[in-house]
Amino acid sequence: MNKKLTPRYIIIAIILAWAAYALWPSISFQQMSEEKKETLREAGKLKVIESKIIKQGLDLKGGMYIVLEVDLPILISGLAINKDKSLENTLNKVTDRLNEPDADFFNLFTSISKEDNLRLARYFHEYGASTEEIISKLRDESDDAINRVLEILQNRVDQFGVAEPTIQKQGSQRIIVELAGIQDSERARDLLQSTALLEFYLVKDAEITQDMLTRVDNILKGNEDLADVAAELSEQTEPQEEKVEQLVSDDKTITVSELFGDTVQESAVSEDTSVVVDQRLFVNSPFSSLLRDFDRDLGVPESNVYTVNKILALPEVEQLLESTSSKFALSNKAQELTDASGNQIKIYRLYHLENEPELTGGVISDAKENISGTGSDIAGQPVVLVEMNSDGTKQWSRITGANINRRIAIVLDNKVHMAPNIIEKIPSGGTRIQGFADLNEAKDIAIVLRAGALPVPVQIIEERIVGPSLGADSIRQGTRSVIIALIIVMIFMLIYYKIAGSIANFALIWNMILVLSILALLQATLTLPGIAALILTMGMSIDANVIVFERIREELRKGKTARAAIDAGYNRAITTIVDANVTTVIAALVLYQFGTGPIKGFATVLFWGIAISMFTAIFVTRTIFMSMTNRKNLQKLSI
Amino acid sequence: MRIIKDTNIDFMKQMRIGFILSGVIILLGLASLLLHGGPKLSIDFEGGTMVAVHFTEEMDVNDIRNSLNNVNVEGRTYDYSKQEIKHFGTPSSISVRLSSQEEEHGNIAQAVIDHLYNAFPENVPEDTQDFILSIEKVGPKVGAELSGKVIMAIISALGLILIYISIRFEFKFALGAIAALAHDILITLGIFSILGLEISLPIIAAFLTIVGYSLNDTIVIFDRIRENIKTRRRDDYLTIINSSINESLSRTIVTSLTTFFVVMILWLFGGEVIHNFAFAMMVGVIVGTYSSIYVASPIVALLHTKQK
Repeated sequence: MNKKLTPRYIIIAIILAWAAYALWPSISFQQMSEEKKETLREAGKLKVIESKIIKQGLDLKGGMYIVLEVDLPILISGLAINKDKSLENTLNKVTDRLNEPDADFFNLFTSISKEDNLRLARYFHEYGASTEEIISKLRDESDDAINRVLEILQNRVDQFGVAEPTIQKQGSQRIIVELAGIQDSERARDLLQSTALLEFYLVKDAEITQDMLTRVDNILKGNEDLADVAAELSEQTEPQEEKVEQLVSDDKTITVSELFGDTVQESAVSEDTSVVVDQRLFVNSPFSSLLRDFDRDLGVPESNVYTVNKILALPEVEQLLESTSSKFALSNKAQELTDASGNQIKIYRLYHLENEPELTGGVISDAKENISGTGSDIAGQPVVLVEMNSDGTKQWSRITGANINRRIAIVLDNKVHMAPNIIEKIPSGGTRIQGFADLNEAKDIAIVLRAGALPVPVQIIEERIVGPSLGADSIRQGTRSVIIALIIVMIFMLIYYKIAGSIANFALIWNMILVLSILALLQATLTLPGIAALILTMGMSIDANVIVFERIREELRKGKTARAAIDAGYNRAITTIVDANVTTVIAALVLYQFGTGPIKGFATVLFWGIAISMFTAIFVTRTIFMSMTNRKNLQKLSI
Repeated sequence: MRIIKDTNIDFMKQMRIGFILSGVIILLGLASLLLHGGPKLSIDFEGGTMVAVHFTEEMDVNDIRNSLNNVNVEGRTYDYSKQEIKHFGTPSSISVRLSSQEEEHGNIAQAVIDHLYNAFPENVPEDTQDFILSIEKVGPKVGAELSGKVIMAIISALGLILIYISIRFEFKFALGAIAALAHDILITLGIFSILGLEISLPIIAAFLTIVGYSLNDTIVIFDRIRENIKTRRRDDYLTIINSSINESLSRTIVTSLTTFFVVMILWLFGGEVIHNFAFAMMVGVIVGTYSSIYVASPIVALLHTKQK
């Protein structure tokens, strides 16, 4: 063995050993049976192994990628004291402009409030006197809020029970959540998005509600927008009118209640109590004609929900509600009714509530889901049992004691879950919430109530879900492509460059192993684009060898000996290989810089693939050639 | 074995033909882009919703289209039959793309999935989770931001490459390389537009990889030119460029062929998600190889004669 080559052998051996060590957990994990994994999981050892293996991206194993954005305008408006119209206007302007790319809420808020001559100190004097001071304090507040959101979401996801969730902050306003192998995307979405704001509101008396309906009707009658709303409305409801007529004439449970005044009752009866919207009625009472009487509440057929919400959001209506310190809220789920011809209709309940909650969810100390026991009127239905802390218990007992025989609405994220009559004072603080579709929903609500309400609402602005079958397909097809490409390239090299080709093939396999072990070491995530990059890397690795071999062939043609040709070939080729690959490295780095998830995965693999292929082509294959030429009798090179 | 024996092709003489050919293809692409009002962007950039579902049997796109004319989203009925509906990889998979709407309420993606699941009860898998292949929802803000980022990425990549080549070679080489890159990107973009393929985030990644690959090719030739200028001072510039291309031709062909086969395998077997990415790469490999010979090198030659 040549002394000069010994250090090279040692370096290569060390790297090989290291690569084997780094890749071993991934390979053994792949071979592991599910039972073995389970025993390891119970022993708490699986996490250690999982931290050492190549992670699969969500596009390969299936899962959910969600970007949530914190609603800063709402947070800021919540922090303001003496809120008024001009602050609201400014915030609305900011919200409109937030959709511009790279918009920063606080910069916009500063500049727009300046334009509007809005003195921030009026609303935020406790945060400082000057605008700069206030803005920087508000920034701190928003940072604090997003950190709390992060913590609460983490808590919720942990309790939901997903394997290796990732929750991280992106920028100052966003949170990225990645959930692997999620089965029910809708459930996960609700779990993340719900603010979990639990509130208890007193329900307004029926007479006041009726009065309110009439007043809303009157507003609408004099309103120009009405024409638009009406047009939209008739378009939406016409096809359903017939069905509903049948339904109500058959369904005895729907009767005109005392909620409506006599005149309405009369006209409603004469119209067969029934149609969701009657055009004639609509002209006189545009709002209440959208509603129905439903048990002892107001009902809103599903097809009218949109219009009702739109009417309630009209500025005039909002003003009216504000002046009477009341608000409307819909029930969280619709009740399904089936008519004689089998048509189904869904009806939501509409509640007229006091504007200010009597009690909020901050007082909750524990929440548990349960199935209501036999004997109660809702036997077998899922419920959530809520416990309150001592302060909450005291308040709850006072509220219930003072409002016996009134109804109290339990409202979660602005949706009314139930509005029972207060029969007697509740001294214990324990409360049962009902109105869930199934036990899973009750379980999720219990989770979010335990984890606490978000200090500020969040919105999903980006969502990507890959189903498990598509992910499995991607893995299968990706692996197959890698193997086929590898075989074809290796056969080609063997035919074209003979023994030199087999050296290149050796380097190629080496290359693949090294890239994978670096991925394992960096705990990088292998995505489908990452697999594509792995295949491209094959091309790059082969290219480096092709450049060298073509150069050696040239030198041989010039009549040089095998050894001299190899030396000259490598020396000349090195600059070419480096120059040519650096540009691809630049492209990879730029991609890494701006890319998200899968693209980052592509860039990572491409970067390491090029770096390693340069190393194998320049260092490893040359060492092999050198040890070949060291054998004195080598005259002819198989290339 | 050798595919390419010692060649002596006068590439520089064919310069004009090359320019005309490139010009025509680029113009065709630009015409198509103009006709379609720019490249067809995916929801990554435009915002919107994209749903892919898997049926147990082959489905006719028109049936799906007809069934989507009354989708119930939280009580309101929408007509989605005019949205983009097509097969997703196999005839039994369907993708529906919904453009982002002004007033979006409710979960449209879930509504469409539920609607399709109930509309074809005979042809759906029992488990709804097997039915959903993927759901993608991108808010308009995210899309707009991404477009800005992509433009920044491409500009910064080109800028950095320009600087690197200027340092390692000469400025005129950098200009030649950048011209070749612009040529490659324009042609690939044009072909995508003509074929009606979408530009999505992975396609942008493919574009940047094409940039890297095409440069790789160009620089191998430039490297030879640089070397030959040093050793053969008596020869004139065009001869040097010609023989440099000829000398590296064997390598160019071998590398291009292997890379082309590799991406073609990806195109054939890589699956639907990566299909268009691989296609962009295939186009890029061909165009990139061509441009390093017929665009980058002639421009260096032209710039050199102008310098004198």
